Amino acid sequence: MSRRPRASGHFRTAYAQDLRLIQTGTERWAMAACVVALAGLPFLASPFLLDLANQVFLAAIGALALMLLTGYAGQISLGHAGLMAAGAFTVGILSRELQAPFWMTLPAAALVGSLLGAIFGLPSLRLRGLYLAVSTLALHFLVVYLGGEYESRRGYSTGIVIDPPAIGGHAVSGGLAWYFILGLTAGGVLLLCLNLLRSGTGRAWAAIRANETVAEALGIGVAGHKLLAFMVSSLLAALAGALFGYYRGFVSVEAFSLFLSIQYVAMIIIGGMGSLLGAVLGALFVTLLPYGIEAALRTLPGAERYAGLLFAVNYAAFGLVMILFLLLEPLGLVGIWRRVATYFRLWPFKHRPLTGGQR
Amino acid sequence: MSTPLLTVAKLEVVYQRAVTALQGVSLSVPRGQIVGILGTNGAGKTTLLRAISGFHGIDDARVTDGSICFKGRRIDNGEPHLIARAGIALVPEREKVFPNLTVAENLTVPAGPRESAAERRRREEQVVEFFPKLAELRSRVAGLLSGGERQMLAMASALVCKPELLLIDELSLGLSPVVIDDLMARIVQIKRELGIAVVLVEQSAAVALELADYGYVLENGRTVLDGEVQRLKSHADIQEFYMGRTSAGARRSYRDVKQYRRSRRWYG
Repeated sequence: MSRRPRASGHFRTAYAQDLRLIQTGTERWAMAACVVALAGLPFLASPFLLDLANQVFLAAIGALALMLLTGYAGQISLGHAGLMAAGAFTVGILSRELQAPFWMTLPAAALVGSLLGAIFGLPSLRLRGLYLAVSTLALHFLVVYLGGEYESRRGYSTGIVIDPPAIGGHAVSGGLAWYFILGLTAGGVLLLCLNLLRSGTGRAWAAIRANETVAEALGIGVAGHKLLAFMVSSLLAALAGALFGYYRGFVSVEAFSLFLSIQYVAMIIIGGMGSLLGAVLGALFVTLLPYGIEAALRTLPGAERYAGLLFAVNYAAFGLVMILFLLLEPLGLVGIWRRVATYFRLWPFKHRPLTGGQR
Repeated sequence: MSTPLLTVAKLEVVYQRAVTALQGVSLSVPRGQIVGILGTNGAGKTTLLRAISGFHGIDDARVTDGSICFKGRRIDNGEPHLIARAGIALVPEREKVFPNLTVAENLTVPAGPRESAAERRRREEQVVEFFPKLAELRSRVAGLLSGGERQMLAMASALVCKPELLLIDELSLGLSPVVIDDLMARIVQIKRELGIAVVLVEQSAAVALELADYGYVLENGRTVLDGEVQRLKSHADIQEFYMGRTSAGARRSYRDVKQYRRSRRWYG
C-alpha cells in the first residue's frame, strides 16, 4: 500500500495512460485470476459444461464481430447469420469436395466472408438505419438459399458432415481440445479488436458513428472505412461460422436461421452497445439464458407437463429480456458492470469529482 | 505578391441541376490572411464554403463552371476528406462536433497528416493551449457543451488536422457578445502563431470587418463588392445595409428603419 493519502478513484494524468489496456494493479490481478480460472475450468467441468463454454466462445467471436460493425462503426446488420453460414459452408464444401485440410478451409472461409462483407457493405454508402438493415437481410437469404441449393443438388439433404480437423496427424475431438482452441481463438479475436479500436481505424469508426459529415470534414474517408468495417466484421463472422462447422462436425442451413441474426443483435444490445466487454457478456448471457430457463422450469413441480412448452417459453423469455434491457438498462450488462466497478473505485465516496477525473 | 493559397475563379454552382446558387464568383486567399465573406441569408456564402471544401455534393450540387485552385492544384468537385487531407479544414455551421464522444476523444479522432504518435500528441496539446477551457472539459461529453464551447472544440479539432486554410461558417451564430469577442481574439492569435489563412463567412458585418484583412460581399450568388477591409468599412452601401447607418454617417433610428420596411412592403 502506498503511504501517501490517495484520492478516491483512479485518475489518469498522462495521455499515454488513456491508451493503456490495463490501467491499475487491481486490474492486472483480476486479469491474471481470470486467465487462471479459464485455464483451470475445463479440468473441473463436466462434458455438458464444457460444451456450454465452447458455445459461449463461438458466440463471443460472432458477437465481437457484430459489435465492431454496429457498436463501433454504427452500421446495422441483420445478415450476421448469413455470414456465419457462408463461413460454415465454405468449410463444408471445401472439405467435402476437395478434402481440403483446416489450414486451407479456414483462410478460405475468412476470404469468402470479407468478400461478401465488401459487397454487402456497398449499400451502406447510400443507405442508413432501417433501410440498411433490410438490405443486409437480403444477404442472409441469398447465402442461405445458395447453401440449401448446394445441399439438395449434392444429395446432402440433411446437411454436410465435416471430418474433424487434424493437427499433425491427430484428429481434434473432445470438448477439452475444442475448449482450448475456441478459447484461445476468442481471446485472440478480443485482443485483435481491442488493438484495432485503439488504432486510427477504430477512431475513424467512432467518428463515422458519431457524425459522418463532421468525420469527412476532418479528413476521414467515410466510404473506405465503412467498407473496411463490413469486411473485418464479416471476416470474423465467417471465421466463427467455420469454427462452428468444425466443432459440430456438421453443417446445415437450418442452423443459420434469421433467429440467429436476431440473437446476435440481442447479444450486443443486452451486453451493451459500444463495448467489447459488452459483446462477451452478451454472448455469455444469451447463450446461457435458454439453459437457465430450462433448469428453472425443471425445479417446478410437475416439470414433465411443461416440457412441451419449453421452446415457446424460451422465445417469449428472450423477447421479454430484450425489452426489459432496452427500457431499464440501455447500457446493457456492461452498464451494470461499470456502475458496480465505479462504486468500489470511488469508495468511500458516492460520486466522482465534478471536474477532472475519469469518465 | 506571391501566388495566393486559394484561388476561386468565376465559380458557378448549381443545385440539383436546377437552382443556380453561385455565378461568376471569384476570390483569392493569400497565405496567412483572414478573408471575410459577408452576405445575407441565401446570398451563397455557405454554398461557397461547401464548394471549396467539397461538401456541396451532399445536397446534390455541382461546380458547373469556373475553378477552385488550392496551392496550384484543382480541387473543384473533389472528395471532402481528400480536400481536408490536402490542408483545408472546415468548421461547419451547425453539426460540428461528435456529440457522443468526450472532448478528448473529439480531438484524437480527426485524421491529420501521417506522423508519429508523439508528434500528434504534441499538436493536440498545442491546439488545446489556444483554448484552455477545453483542457478543463477534457472528459465531458461534447453533446453537453454550450454553443461557445462547441465552437471552440470544432475549431480545435479542425486545427488538429494541421490545415493551411481554415474555413469557418458563421463564427458568431447564436453566441453571446462576450463569447464572440473571445473567439475573435483566438482566431487572431491562431493566425499569428500558426500562420494559417482563414476564410470567415459571416452575417454579422461587425465581426467580419473587425477580423478580416480583406472582404467580399455576396448577394444573390454574385460578388457585389470586394476590397481591403478599411475601404469596405467606409463604403456607403456597407454602412447602410450592414451597419444601419445613413450615408451621412448617423445611426438610423428605429423609426426610420420601420418606415423603410413598410414602404418596401407597400410599393414593392
